[in-house]
Amino acid sequence: MSEHARSSRPALPRRPFFRRRKTCPLSGANAPKIDYKDVKMMQRFLSERGKIVPSRITSVSAPKQRRLAKAVKRARILALLPFVER
Amino acid sequence: MPLYESVFIARPDIPAQEVENISVKYETLLTENGGSVPKREYWGLRNLAYRIKKSRKGHYVMFHIDAPAAAVVELERNMRLSEDVIRYMTVRVETHDEGPSIMMQTRQARDDRGRRDGGRRGGPPRPRSDAPPAPAQAASPAPAPKAAAAPETAKPKAEAASPSEASSGEST
Repeated sequence: MSEHARSSRPALPRRPFFRRRKTCPLSGANAPKIDYKDVKMMQRFLSERGKIVPSRITSVSAPKQRRLAKAVKRARILALLPFVER
Repeated sequence: MPLYESVFIARPDIPAQEVENISVKYETLLTENGGSVPKREYWGLRNLAYRIKKSRKGHYVMFHIDAPAAAVVELERNMRLSEDVIRYMTVRVETHDEGPSIMMQTRQARDDRGRRDGGRRGGPPRPRSDAPPAPAQAASPAPAPKAAAAPETAKPKAEAASPSEASSGEST
């Protein structure tokens, strides 16, 4: 998957690698708990239009990304977060 | 017994007292059916992220529930039938967190912060102790209509100080 990204990107091919070395912001000490009620925390991982940002950009680990997505979808049902903005 | 978290949104046109009555009614409904409600929170009349039933605001209430599944089913049935509850969601949780939830915590923090810099926000800019910028700006339009060729710059400034007060009174 990384080689595919390398061939399609015109920029430095090393960049996707560097990003992945960063640790997951939702794991480790002092990590915020994934809570569907915590709008502020979730908004960090949403785009401007309210879409869930892929983990290859936010470097969230896979299981945390799944839990985050579930929390975002719950919050959307409760109208704490929009489905689409603008 | 399994632990749940339930949030419901009530219509914005009903008063907060009525929302309180509804949440008490649901609490008794749960306790009658063999459960308990360790926490009940009112998040206030919040803005919704999108329109629900034509309204953009709603009363949010959250419960922590410890009850058998049948009681929760009964609760949801009542919510579904109620005309005042426009949305509800019950989620199964592993544990019940102690203390106020995230919604209440941010509200407390906001209230504390608001009192601290409450004097700054809004309102016209207060007159500051460093006065020179004001007369310097007011002095530029004042001598222009005068077109006074007074060589001394100190005098027009001093003279412009008093008419500038009058002119600034007119302009503001």
